[in-house]
Amino acid sequence: MPPKRARTPAKKTDDEEPVKVRADALAPTLDLAEQIYGQLDRGEIPRMRLPLRTKQNISFQSREGVWKLGRAMGTRSARKLDGALMLLRTFYLVDFINEMAREGKTSTLRELYYISEAWEDAKFHGEDESNLLIEDLEVMCERLREDFRLHPEENGASVIGDLTIKERNRKGVVKKINCRDDVGDGGYSLPFNVEKEKIEFVSTNAKFLIAIECGGMVDRLAENGFDEQHDAILLHLKGQPARSTRRFLRRASEELKLPVVVFTDGDPWSFRIFASVAYGAIKTAHLSSYLATPSAEFLGVTASDIENYDLPHDKLSEQDIRALQAELTDPRFGTAEWRAEIELMLKNGKKAEQQSLAKYGLNYVTEHYLPEKLTEMGVL
Amino acid sequence: MSPPPTIAQQLAAKQREISVAEFFERNRQILGFDNPQRALLTTVKEGVDNGLDACDEARILPDILVEISKETDDRLRVAVTDSGPGILRREIPNVFARLLYGSRFHSNRQARGQQGIGISAAVLYANLTTARPARVTSKVEEEEAAHVLELVIDTQKNQPRVVSEDVTLWDSPHGTRVELVLKARYVRGRQSPYEYLRGTAIVNPHARIVLVEPDGTRVTFERASTDLPPVAKETLPHPYGLELGELGYLLKASKRSGLAEFLTKDLQGVSARTARELLAAAGLTNSAPPASVSGDEQDRLLRALHDAPLIAPSPEGLSPIGSILIKRGLRNVLGELRPEFYCPPVSRPPKVHAGFPFMVEVGLVYGGGLPADQPVQILRFANRVPLLFQQGACAITNAISNLDWRRYGLDQKGGSGLPSGPALILVHVASTKVPFTNEAKEAVAEDPEIDKELTLALQAAARHLRTHISRKSRRDFASEKFAIIQRILPKLAEKTSHLVGKGVPDLTPVITRIMDIVNVETPFESDKNGVRAKVEVTNYTPRTRVLELFVEIPPDVFPLAVFEPVPDGVEAALGRAWWTLPKLGPNGRTALSFSFPPKTDVEANDLDWYVAGIDEAHILGAEPLPGDWDVRLPRTIVEAAEAAAADAAANGATGEEEVDYDAAEASAHTSEED
Repeated sequence: MPPKRARTPAKKTDDEEPVKVRADALAPTLDLAEQIYGQLDRGEIPRMRLPLRTKQNISFQSREGVWKLGRAMGTRSARKLDGALMLLRTFYLVDFINEMAREGKTSTLRELYYISEAWEDAKFHGEDESNLLIEDLEVMCERLREDFRLHPEENGASVIGDLTIKERNRKGVVKKINCRDDVGDGGYSLPFNVEKEKIEFVSTNAKFLIAIECGGMVDRLAENGFDEQHDAILLHLKGQPARSTRRFLRRASEELKLPVVVFTDGDPWSFRIFASVAYGAIKTAHLSSYLATPSAEFLGVTASDIENYDLPHDKLSEQDIRALQAELTDPRFGTAEWRAEIELMLKNGKKAEQQSLAKYGLNYVTEHYLPEKLTEMGVL
Repeated sequence: MSPPPTIAQQLAAKQREISVAEFFERNRQILGFDNPQRALLTTVKEGVDNGLDACDEARILPDILVEISKETDDRLRVAVTDSGPGILRREIPNVFARLLYGSRFHSNRQARGQQGIGISAAVLYANLTTARPARVTSKVEEEEAAHVLELVIDTQKNQPRVVSEDVTLWDSPHGTRVELVLKARYVRGRQSPYEYLRGTAIVNPHARIVLVEPDGTRVTFERASTDLPPVAKETLPHPYGLELGELGYLLKASKRSGLAEFLTKDLQGVSARTARELLAAAGLTNSAPPASVSGDEQDRLLRALHDAPLIAPSPEGLSPIGSILIKRGLRNVLGELRPEFYCPPVSRPPKVHAGFPFMVEVGLVYGGGLPADQPVQILRFANRVPLLFQQGACAITNAISNLDWRRYGLDQKGGSGLPSGPALILVHVASTKVPFTNEAKEAVAEDPEIDKELTLALQAAARHLRTHISRKSRRDFASEKFAIIQRILPKLAEKTSHLVGKGVPDLTPVITRIMDIVNVETPFESDKNGVRAKVEVTNYTPRTRVLELFVEIPPDVFPLAVFEPVPDGVEAALGRAWWTLPKLGPNGRTALSFSFPPKTDVEANDLDWYVAGIDEAHILGAEPLPGDWDVRLPRTIVEAAEAAAADAAANGATGEEEVDYDAAEASAHTSEED
């Protein structure tokens, strides 16, 4: 099959170079193959050493405010059947992603799962297995899965606000896009790869970025013109945020020096959404320095908001209570403020949705709640 | 005014004979009729035991039919038909409708029933709970037709009463059928008629047993053997087991002219010389006729008998199942569970408890469809009768619980209590008098001699189990290694070679490093052309091996074997042959074989394989040569063995201590929360 770029217009400018993988992106995968080949050639039992991702080897770095992998290493050896299978799988995967790179393709995790049907003994028995192996490869090669041209099914966040970016699209064409003026009401949708070679920040007049849990609230803020009125970039998290969303927030915070605030429902699960944005998750501890935004702040809805604004609420369920109790022992919620909020929520037994602010009318959230909270936080 | 009655007179007025009905009511529990579920089981059990005993005595292959049907909500009709010799017309009322009447009460040999309570108690229970007579049909071979009697027990006199009588045609030459309607409840599962009959079928593979359940389900336990069990001989009572009353009875009944003759001819184990000595010790003379010995003299005689060094009781009165039939019975009944291992059954030699001979037999089955995460199943038998109740109070259960099964490959919390795992343990205690914990004969009572034998028998079976489990885990280990070297490694080499753009390297050194065993395969074929045993030895280790291979064959079939090539040594009397194998380099292989004529009675399991010149950790499919074989090994083999031992010792010291990445990850992911 001829590569897609053959059909693109033959206008050759710098901006229209086809998407190239970072030159060194896949080199480490071939180093791994070299390593195993050498062992086989010397008559040694093939093996690899890789950092353990067990709980004991993951710790919360309070200095950096993120989860990090420790130094403990494990060995994957062909001496055991499981180890041998994982080694074989690793190189089927390495072969596959190098082939994709040659052909300028990408693949979803789900597609990878079906691709592996042809790998016989090495085929995956579930997406868990492919996910874990990709994480292994990320750790060993110190690369992201996006570098391996693999991406999850779910799409990334949508962004609305005065932010101008350059995106190199699937045809290799670089487009300059203003996320307020050049997009429809759905906003600018983040691609799975938000690395520099794909997206570049050009300029912004925004003073902060507000990450919002529910689509209804994003629409409310956009309709009320909150972004223009307060120089804000709105970002829809879509529940537990995708990796590209988290990576985007990290880059925005780092490169644009924008404060990031997180606005969610007031319940234990939303607290966890904030924690994964700010401090990373156990599953991605090896990538915390790429994905976590330790400077992000929680805006609300807090347990105190439910009381102070007298919001319509639901009773905490059994699971909610267990989740809150678990959070009391989670180092990410180790600060005095968080402990006080969690304990207050447990004590009152109440949770509330973002949109419960509509109790006071459609404009209340943009005219009263957010300005008050943002002023309190020193953002406005 | 007459004087008031004395206390003795008052008491006398209250005294009267207790009727059997009252006796029964008060002792329902010990007789096994305390609830409707148990009453049914006891009834079935008594009917079946009687039928089997009758068949065994008459040397007839038993055909037993048990039909249970619903009469009303709480009443069942139970009919047990056997193919036994039948009962003479005049005996039928006494056998079925009179308590404590039987032919075996005074006989000194092993039988299922003994006291003569069983079937009559069931008849009485039926009479009392439903007021329906028992219907007995029986035909003896010499009569044309069968007699049909309806019987009740006169509970005041303990006498049978015939309610009606008829004759009928019977389609088989002989047999007996007893039909009762009783208050009872049918259940499935543990302690059910099904369980009881299944157990019975296991230890009586010569019987065909059919059960028809109330819903019409028909379960057949087919006959697995047409060999009748040997008849237990009737033996004389042994003095060690005698009690005073019994001695008095024997003395009174004796026709011997003098006491010495009584002691040597009416009892067992007493020699003429011992008889003289113990008469002297008891201060008795030989001249007195046995019947004239006084109570006081009987007491002295019994004490002297108990103190005298007598010949042990003869085991001839015992009727063990035998190891062949235990295996056949278990296979027959458990076949559909496809157990992976039938332990060679253990039959301990007869021993004596309290003057009665006894012996213990144990069978053990492992794996297949047996549930792995539950306590092992225990099948207890006493004189070939399954014991279904009081498992916890039984000496058999205790002996199992007291063994540390962890040493033999089963799970057991803290090393005592019932082990768990996919296993079934069969234990049979056979004796002319099994000590039971109660009259319902549900559990074997503790006895130091019996406990000792139980433990020894269980240990012997458990050792077989351990060998099996360790062989199996070695095999699993090896099949994993084979999967690596045959399926994974070649592809891994191909992939990595392709990625680095080089040729595929020779994998022999890696293969031998991963396997690091010498594999002995022993395919075995048996068909109408003969029986062939092959041996293939492959050296999957990185070093060259010099080995001596040994085979042990049952000595009775050893002379029939034709070897290829001719062994380097044989010891025919012990069934042993051995070869010095050609030198095997890494990945090297050699094979040899031998054959037997068609229909030789030899199985793959009968052959044992041993190897010398290598340490245990590096050999699969054969055991290291046992130390007691006393074979002079060639010098090269001795040196190879020494080198292998030194090597193993050196490797043990520098074993890898790395965390297995995938194992660590797997355990971490099962415990992760979100």
